[in-house]
Amino acid sequence: MKATLIGLGLVLFVAGCGSDAGNTGAPWVWNLPETIPEPRVPDDNPMTVEKVELGRFLFYDKRLSGNQTQSCAGCHRQELAFTDGLPLAEGSTGQLTPRSSMSLANAGYQASLTWANEVLVRLEQQALVPMFGEEPVELGLANLEDELLQRMRDDERYPEMFAAAFPDEDDPISVDSITKALASFQRQLTSFGSKVDRWADGDQTALNQSEQRGLALFFGGTNAAGIDDAFECFHCHGGFLYSQSSDDAFQVFDQKFFMNNGLYSLDEDGSYPAGNEGIFDMSGDPADKGKFKPPSLRNVAVTAPYMHDGSLATLDDVIDHYARGGTLTESGPNAGDGFENPNKSSFLNGFEITEQEREDLKAFLNALTDGDFLNDPAFSDPFAQ
Amino acid sequence: MNKVVVVIAALGAGAFGCGGGQEVSIEFAAKVGTEDFVCGQQYDNLGADDTSLVLSDFRFYVSGVELRNSDGDWVAVALDETNFQVEHVALLDFENGCNSQTGNEPTNTRVTGTVPEGTYDSVRFGMGVPFDLNHKNPATAPPPLNLTTMQWNWQGGYKFLRIDSGAFSMTDWRVHLGSTGCNGDPVSGGTTECSAPNVVVADNLGPFDPDTGTVVADFAALVAGAPLDVNQMMTPVGCMTGPTDMDCAPLLENLGLPFGGVPAPGAQSFFTAQ
Repeated sequence: MKATLIGLGLVLFVAGCGSDAGNTGAPWVWNLPETIPEPRVPDDNPMTVEKVELGRFLFYDKRLSGNQTQSCAGCHRQELAFTDGLPLAEGSTGQLTPRSSMSLANAGYQASLTWANEVLVRLEQQALVPMFGEEPVELGLANLEDELLQRMRDDERYPEMFAAAFPDEDDPISVDSITKALASFQRQLTSFGSKVDRWADGDQTALNQSEQRGLALFFGGTNAAGIDDAFECFHCHGGFLYSQSSDDAFQVFDQKFFMNNGLYSLDEDGSYPAGNEGIFDMSGDPADKGKFKPPSLRNVAVTAPYMHDGSLATLDDVIDHYARGGTLTESGPNAGDGFENPNKSSFLNGFEITEQEREDLKAFLNALTDGDFLNDPAFSDPFAQ
Repeated sequence: MNKVVVVIAALGAGAFGCGGGQEVSIEFAAKVGTEDFVCGQQYDNLGADDTSLVLSDFRFYVSGVELRNSDGDWVAVALDETNFQVEHVALLDFENGCNSQTGNEPTNTRVTGTVPEGTYDSVRFGMGVPFDLNHKNPATAPPPLNLTTMQWNWQGGYKFLRIDSGAFSMTDWRVHLGSTGCNGDPVSGGTTECSAPNVVVADNLGPFDPDTGTVVADFAALVAGAPLDVNQMMTPVGCMTGPTDMDCAPLLENLGLPFGGVPAPGAQSFFTAQ
């Protein structure tokens, strides 16, 4: 009897607890291949259908910028795997960010977010950067949090949607709710439906001969010059994301991962262009110069231009870069030979590649495109419908 | 009105288990040399190059405020809970919204709370938000930790000090100080450490009478020796605490903070007690 009372007390306590907010609502059902783990979902932001739907509206809503000219989707377009096709992303007031917009495909599986940041490990936390950041201005909402919430309250649709997504909150329209809904929407942007996935699932017809040869070369095959694992791609771009930087609901280790790939080397310290030197910008440790997160290669064919600063226009340029073992910049302020970068990954020593091998490798990279993901109406702009 | 203050003070004291005690109000002032900081005013002869700047923001967090009693022991001030104070952190805010893009009208020039009955002759504190409060979810933080212009989300945590000329511009001189080199854990979701916490230790203020004294934060002292007319290429104008932005070096030295692997050569000179 006593135990029952204590049990009842616990239930009442938990049910009345603010941190439990959002547990009610239609539970989310993941639509994932059997081989793919579910993404990690923070305890204080369980997935619900209502939250994902709210997040979808917010993601595409220009009222989420200070001057109401830009939404998250302004830099993250579905048809480009949620990139923008530009070398550098441009904020709502026209300021350029130093980096290229990253794909949001499988954003919920990233061990760390953005190109090079060791502290951003949750989508909820990351959403605050484009919203409220000042250097540079992205969505430009700093100091406008009250106005932002008023815009939501004044809307025909939102009060009901926020209440449905956050039924335990007395005041469901809050900055915290916005970040949680945006994170929930992004967490379900999963993309595991490429031809390569069908091949891995046992469909022998999924990849043609060229794509199969490219796959073998990517994963350590011997090239025409007779070198085993000549291309070394999978060391940084392995795993189910095609990036070693990955996390999921069952992962117990911190798998943040940053590498220098020899894109620049301005001096003997291996400097990159100032202000854009990877995790060095935050750590100040010279050994961190040029270290960036290897991005997932899923949908890579539609996410040009490449690298953190969009400086390589095509997949051919990327292959040239790795074949040389680093990029040589002959003149100008960034002059230097990335091959010589002292922080460069030891895997990147260059390789010989025949025209056929190049075509095969590109065929494989193209086969990582998930057409269903790029066209899924569930991820599309709800205001356009 | 008095009643309200008493009730709040009593609650604060109760919450910190101090019991009884006396109210204390520690006055702060923002100055530029001998002049008071006035939001939107121009100040001349700043730094090594006698630079002129129009200053439009002047805010900083303090934490762990302590007074020294007649036994020579340091005693924590149990802060009142107000819109400018939470737990052991207070925001001193000298801008009045003269720049509406980043500022707001309310100001706060004092730290209020309770200490045990007694007489006190010195003050010390940290400028910054301590680690335990610096890395909680800012979207659910209480005032004064819920101001988006004081949040520093890309580094994690808060801007401990914000002094601006201009706003949202890549060309106006600004200083934003906060913890850098912070590391997150994707498994727990938390922040594990920061290689450069950058909390300023103000423990060299000398004699201070909490009833009549004022703690002065002096912008001219902050930028003493700093060449403000020049800016390191490809770095923000001013100092955003970038670990390799050498424009920060003289400022962090004046704040008594290590920079670029070099230990702090001396104590802070930004704050004085008057």
